[in-house]
Amino acid sequence: MAFQVLLNFFLAFLWMFLTSSFTLSSFIIGYFLGILVILAMRRFFKDRVYLIRVWAVIKLTILFVIELIKANIEVLVIVLRPKLDLKPGIFKYDTKLEREWEVTLLSLLITLTPGTLVVDVSDDNSTLYIHALNATDIKGTVESIKKGFEKAIMEVSR
Amino acid sequence: MKKPNDVILQTVTTVISFIIILFSINLFFAGHYTPGGGFIGGLMTAAALVLLLLAYDVKTLNKVLPFNYQVMTAAGLLIAVLTSAGALLFNEPFLTHAYDYFDLPLLGKTSLHTAVLFDTGVYLVVIGITMTIIQTIGESE
Repeated sequence: MAFQVLLNFFLAFLWMFLTSSFTLSSFIIGYFLGILVILAMRRFFKDRVYLIRVWAVIKLTILFVIELIKANIEVLVIVLRPKLDLKPGIFKYDTKLEREWEVTLLSLLITLTPGTLVVDVSDDNSTLYIHALNATDIKGTVESIKKGFEKAIMEVSR
Repeated sequence: MKKPNDVILQTVTTVISFIIILFSINLFFAGHYTPGGGFIGGLMTAAALVLLLLAYDVKTLNKVLPFNYQVMTAAGLLIAVLTSAGALLFNEPFLTHAYDYFDLPLLGKTSLHTAVLFDTGVYLVVIGITMTIIQTIGESE
């Protein structure tokens, strides 16, 4: 992945030297042509074309922004409600993510989204302890995390 | 006989072929005002593919770039004929080309010429024919 980005930059600079115009626009044109060449030759690389990963990161960001807005509206509704009928609780969540930055990212995303808060991570990074503001539907929460954030993070790091 | 290890040739070729293809694109677009054009650009791209053929083999190249070069030749001819025939729609003689100036986001003021489309046809035909010749010769025992 890093090699592909480096190669793309190299091709962009090569394009600037070939056209002997050292401007930002010729760099961008060269970068774009480099992407096309790399896409055509993608089967030479052992890993995926890095653009797929870039796209996955963009998707994860959009998902995060949407969830963040939803979370804050949900909290607003809870705060403004005259009667508090919350059932808080802590539940376990087994994650399939392995690397440290993946687990960290997942924890941060869970913390910033509707009614959930990561309290602790087990020593082998495989279990998250999550505090839920409303622990009536734990199964649904787990399912939504698994289908949403965990899948999106796996698409980035796969 | 044990096959010698071509790791140096293969590694260098994979990187070099990107540079050659980019140079061939440069030659292709340079055609109107400076030396270059569809023919030499296509030949240079084919040269990059031939270099890959030298470093790897026919099977690997077919896996990496699964193009049917005969279809590519036909597509190139079709593009060339269609661009030439497009002039007939505007009551102009066959092969009349048109151009105009456009403000493109990155390139600034650029003249877009339909001759580029014709050149694309030439480019595809040259790649297709060169690769067909070389692969046909290479595959026969």
